[in-house]
Amino acid sequence: MNRNGINPKIRDLAQKLLSLESPAKNLSDANIFAALMVSEKLRRPLSTLAGTAGFRSLLMRALTLAKREAPGLDGVQVKEDGSLEGLNGEETEAGTVLIAHLVGLLETFIGEPLTLRLLNEIWPKLSGVDTNSEGKESI
Amino acid sequence: MKEHKGVRINKLPSGVPGLDEILGGGLPEFSFNIVAGAPGCGKTTLAHQFIFANATSDRPALYFTVLGEPALKMLRYQQQYSFFDAEKLNNAVHFINLSKALVDGGLQGVLKEISQQVEASDARIVVVDSFRSVLRSEQHDGREMAAQIFVQELALLLTSAEATTFLIGEYGESEMQDNPVFTVADGLFWLYQQVERNSVVRKLQIMKLRGQMSVPGLHTFRITDSGLQAFSRTLGLMARKPKAAIKKRLSTGIAALDEMMGGGIPQGDSLLIAGPSGTGKSLMATQFIAAGIRAGEPGIVAVFEERPEEYAGRAATFGLDLATPLRQGDLEVIYLRPLDLSVDEMMQEILDAIERTGAKRLVIDSLAGFELALAPGFRIDFRESLYRMIFALTGKGITVLSTLEMTESFTELLFSTYAISFLTDDIVRMRYVEIDGQLRKIMMVVKMRGGAHSSDIREYRITSDGIDIGDCLKDYTKLITGLPTRTKGPGIVEKSSDFTT
Repeated sequence: MNRNGINPKIRDLAQKLLSLESPAKNLSDANIFAALMVSEKLRRPLSTLAGTAGFRSLLMRALTLAKREAPGLDGVQVKEDGSLEGLNGEETEAGTVLIAHLVGLLETFIGEPLTLRLLNEIWPKLSGVDTNSEGKESI
Repeated sequence: MKEHKGVRINKLPSGVPGLDEILGGGLPEFSFNIVAGAPGCGKTTLAHQFIFANATSDRPALYFTVLGEPALKMLRYQQQYSFFDAEKLNNAVHFINLSKALVDGGLQGVLKEISQQVEASDARIVVVDSFRSVLRSEQHDGREMAAQIFVQELALLLTSAEATTFLIGEYGESEMQDNPVFTVADGLFWLYQQVERNSVVRKLQIMKLRGQMSVPGLHTFRITDSGLQAFSRTLGLMARKPKAAIKKRLSTGIAALDEMMGGGIPQGDSLLIAGPSGTGKSLMATQFIAAGIRAGEPGIVAVFEERPEEYAGRAATFGLDLATPLRQGDLEVIYLRPLDLSVDEMMQEILDAIERTGAKRLVIDSLAGFELALAPGFRIDFRESLYRMIFALTGKGITVLSTLEMTESFTELLFSTYAISFLTDDIVRMRYVEIDGQLRKIMMVVKMRGGAHSSDIREYRITSDGIDIGDCLKDYTKLITGLPTRTKGPGIVEKSSDFTT
């Protein structure tokens, strides 16, 4: 994960997660809806692992980073229980950016193998995704 | 033999090398244990080693985290250890955060959550980290009883669920008295981390372990990339084999010295070679090892003052080929020079080398170097540790030759410093004497526990072929002071021609 932007591999992974939740392509509404679904599906296992506060702080950090790239997320907030509110379909890529930052943070903390393991448990169809980025940056 | 009719307690591997032996075979199944100690002493790592060694998808482990180290960071750090198996995550090992349950429901909320999770997963291993933070939430304003009841209920719950439990807490030793947690626990493991000068000394103690005999006392442990490794203070060699009445004699590699010792060193003895710098102690040790190799007895040399390649190179200058046995695995030179070593770690290195080589002979060159390599905190116990080590090694039938550098005095003869002479079966003393304006060397066998030995004080020289022992210096008295007096007429200078070089 690059502090100045999203690793292309992570962006691809985020895009794939969103596509698993919403088959429709290139529609901002679908993108936001899918991001909401991905975040919700991550919330439960990550809250179990890190606590509600742990997941919430992770998501809030991801949102802060995502807002720099997707101003359309300005109105979005993380609720006490770690769910999102205020998401709308004004910006096509906003959902992808948010999820990419969330996955990127996870990878930063626990590494690529464990991150993929967690994601694969939630989305079994994700298995087989190679996220290794040119041997220098993970995911 | 009395037949054992009681319930047989299954023992689980701790996952920590050396700890099972200290525990008396492993961790009792279904036991309710506390791991206590100050921050940073390895409590969490120990618990992780245990769960990764035992958890399977059929017998999963639940690792509950509470208001302590964030779980993501715990995973971040713990996966650096080689025992961490990512494949077991969320399959055999489940991490569950209890913070919300504690904040929302207090102790009863925690108990309910643990109960539900254990029942749902059929967990057989449960860890609560940090348990101390769970109890702290109620140990105020006269709520101590609530904490005590909670501990009691948790113990009942987890025992009924057939779970083996570790509760991890940052406790001080002063808290041990009247603490209900410690009363309920079946096992109490205390980890210590002490800073001695610039070194860190880690030790653990099994304060309590119901159902089986653990090894009492403080045991050294180390944390490496592989996690904790413990070293039993008994070195795993409690029972010394009875020494045979008539023991085989091993050659020192110096025929005249063998003769002085009544035929060589009795096998399984501990021999101390003491003398000042430059008297040839290391050379004698090298000749002893080389003689063993020639006799088909593999050997180990523990050196602290030179590297293995230097050791073999120096031996070669005396015509002793140690490079070949080193290459072939009949000889191992262990070079240890960390300044925070413990005797137990050294012992483990030696035991591992004995296992690999089938060694019959061991050289420790030198005890002074060995002591210097120890962390200051371990040096205090050096004498006792050395006793345990030599006792254990000779009990395995290993013949041990140690060298010891002595500060030379020209008015008296000390047999050895450290008051360790009682630790050894045999002592050979080397020293300088001034004769006719020359600094010459003499050697004597001071002690042979196993039998008679020569009482001669003999001059020797160091030649390109090794140590060459000459005749007994019969024309002098007070030789052992280093400043002898001639007792007979001229001739002592000519005596030196008696050497066969």
